[in-house]
Amino acid sequence: MSKFDNISAEEKKMLKKMFISSFVMEHSYNYERQQGLGFSLGMWPVIKKVYKTKEEQGDALERHMAVFNATPHIETLIMGIAAAMEKEASLNPDFDKSSINSVKIGLMGPLSGIGDSIFWGSLRVVAAGVGLALATQGSPLGALVFLLVYNIPHFIIKYYCTFIGYSFGVDLMKNVSGSGILDKITKAASIIGLMVIGAMTASMVSLTLSGSFTISGNEFIIQDYIDQIFPMLLPLLYTLFIFYLLQVRKWKATTLLLFSIVISFVLVYTGLI
Amino acid sequence: MFTEALLVGLVLFVVWFLEKIFTSPMVFRPIVVGTLVGIVLGDPVMGAKCGASLEVVFMGAIQIGAAVPPDAMLGAGIGTALAIITGQGPEVAFTLGFPIAVFGQSIKIVCFIVRSWYMDLACKYAREVQVTKMHILNWGGLILQCTIYGVIGFCTIYFGSSVVEAALNSIPEKVMTSLNIAGGLLPAVGFALLLQPMMTGKNFLYFFLGFILVAFGGQNVLAVTSFGVVLAFIVVFELGKNKNEKADVIEDAELEALFDE
Repeated sequence: MSKFDNISAEEKKMLKKMFISSFVMEHSYNYERQQGLGFSLGMWPVIKKVYKTKEEQGDALERHMAVFNATPHIETLIMGIAAAMEKEASLNPDFDKSSINSVKIGLMGPLSGIGDSIFWGSLRVVAAGVGLALATQGSPLGALVFLLVYNIPHFIIKYYCTFIGYSFGVDLMKNVSGSGILDKITKAASIIGLMVIGAMTASMVSLTLSGSFTISGNEFIIQDYIDQIFPMLLPLLYTLFIFYLLQVRKWKATTLLLFSIVISFVLVYTGLI
Repeated sequence: MFTEALLVGLVLFVVWFLEKIFTSPMVFRPIVVGTLVGIVLGDPVMGAKCGASLEVVFMGAIQIGAAVPPDAMLGAGIGTALAIITGQGPEVAFTLGFPIAVFGQSIKIVCFIVRSWYMDLACKYAREVQVTKMHILNWGGLILQCTIYGVIGFCTIYFGSSVVEAALNSIPEKVMTSLNIAGGLLPAVGFALLLQPMMTGKNFLYFFLGFILVAFGGQNVLAVTSFGVVLAFIVVFELGKNKNEKADVIEDAELEALFDE
């Protein structure tokens, strides 16, 4: 722990609290905001510490309610960086707070890619291999060995990531603040963030029609034509339509949720899907 | 049968609870669930064997992002319990558990939709800094899912899996399909909410670029992020440089003028 010498003892206490509260991350995983509620609650020890007014605290809590999803095992790394940015935001009135979410979004793609392959892809398989050797013989110890092999690295990495992330974030903020580079980083972060949201929209929102129509004995499958012109056109249009309803028409998120469910039923019952 | 059913339901409830409060420690994997079910039903050896054989089957079925594969925990828990109760070997555990595992997939969709529904309320509490109420919602979502698992476990063992399967089959297929489709559409709401503060006019192009790299290019999110880093560097630091260099030149000229004097 002595390595993190840019973190004060008081901050370490705050980060330990954040580490503990990060365990509520996936309790309410959902389609709309994924781990959003858990992330916001996970950040609470930091938000409570760095912001003094209720208005700022509410603002920060709401900011972290935004859609977020990362491998939970290394999520504390991103939380640490976000915590350092929140601290900077609380001290520097010129700080563009929207860059916090841009940085989070930019990091969650690559870190989850790495995290999923390390934890789900490698460590889980190794642990299962060791555990299975015992369990196939009928030994209940196999399960215990499996859990130990998996979770000892899991908890150690998760714990240290909290401090590594924060330490990195503090250094970053120190080097960039006041030099005009912060504006550039904010701009760069929002470019990366938007591209990642675009990519995730394409890979997570799905809408495929299975309807067809017949002209003079030939069957035409609607989706085939759409795919030839622009693959995944429908998920894009649907997301933009939702964005329009939200931004211009000022629909509430709950209304949009119900709307999406109703649309699904309509599509299925009219035979388009 | 009542006691066994209750125990199996309880195991499923507790396992999912542990899985989430320790953020995915893999307690829900068949090797653990099978063993635990074996222990509570008084046959840990058989439990471990069933768990091991199901672990191999479900090895590939992992959840990444919003995709929902067959539910390994339900499949393993029910499969092992039925294999032990009916006295059959680990070979049949998979066959007995698989229909429930597939059903568990649909249950998750319903659960994710219910939780999406109260996110607005959670946001309101966030704005008002009502952290306790946010926690209640958050934990409520977890307890809801644990309870669903527990109830399915209990009912399958108590009423027999054929009764449960018949009940599941009586749900019109179109309703399940619709919910599945809704599962595909709902992430759009989340992304739109996220875009709201970030997307302004020409910024849309970056979102669009990320989208088409996946739609046309078939790239994954990691590749798009890497591309984004390079692009952002070029746009922000390289293209912005020219202006700064001009400014530097002027500054240099001023300095030289200063020294000339």
